[in-house]
Amino acid sequence: MKEMLPLTEAFYYILIVLYTEPSHGYGIMQETEKKSGGRVKIGAGTLYTALNTLLGKGLIDHYPVPEGTDQRRKMYAITENGKQVVEAEVTRLEELLQVGRQALTQMKG
Amino acid sequence: MDDKLIKRRRLIMSWNYEKEEQWLNDLSREGLHFKKAGKFSSSFFARDESVRYTYRLDYQTGQARGSAKFQEYVDLYQGAGWEYVSSYGSLWHYFRREWQPGEEPQLYTDRESLIQFYKRLQRVMGIMLLANLVLMLTNMINLRSFFTDRLWAVGVPLIVLYLCLFAVLGYGLWRMQKKVKGLKL
Repeated sequence: MKEMLPLTEAFYYILIVLYTEPSHGYGIMQETEKKSGGRVKIGAGTLYTALNTLLGKGLIDHYPVPEGTDQRRKMYAITENGKQVVEAEVTRLEELLQVGRQALTQMKG
Repeated sequence: MDDKLIKRRRLIMSWNYEKEEQWLNDLSREGLHFKKAGKFSSSFFARDESVRYTYRLDYQTGQARGSAKFQEYVDLYQGAGWEYVSSYGSLWHYFRREWQPGEEPQLYTDRESLIQFYKRLQRVMGIMLLANLVLMLTNMINLRSFFTDRLWAVGVPLIVLYLCLFAVLGYGLWRMQKKVKGLKL
């Protein structure tokens, strides 16, 4: 699991978006853009490559498309492994942030 | 709108796919919109002055056209606003979306996925190079007589042909390697 870290921004956002609820590709793209205040835009090719990698590594899984919605829009859900990876990443980022902040405040003294 | 398709020819090597995108986008600005990839570097266009598109090329391996995986792939891109236009073989796929001023939509938006994209291209070129090398060697063994009796008529042209092919593939591999290196820190 540790060998997945650090996650790229695209992987990180995909997992974070799916952490809350299952979604389809376009939903992931929109939610990522919203959460990052428009900074991170995931292109279709990048998303497709990332979803395939995450599926292959068992961090996400297919999720049944709800009745009455467009069946062509495949849904994805995070797995237990995926949750663990993204939780470990948040812990790692917290450490980085803390060390960085400490250094900055020391220098500003 | 005129439904007749207009044919244009242009030989573009796969490592220059960005030039092909540029070419398609330039033509679209002039009202010629790419519709279909034909054989032998020909392309078919439809004329319509009322729209303009941004075209992008994608390269995917391991998903034959018509397979469920391919359908899933196209659906995902379409969900993201890309209209599927055509394919060249089962490897190159053409997508487009309506052009918007000030926008340059890309299929690949980070370094990692671009590197993977170039590596997919490289892998296929590498396999072709190896396959042709094996083919050439078996030809040389099986057609030994051509290299002794008809050296100049068959043997030499055959070798030259293979060398050209190797040079092209080798050059393509090298170009992709440069692109990958340029993206790595």
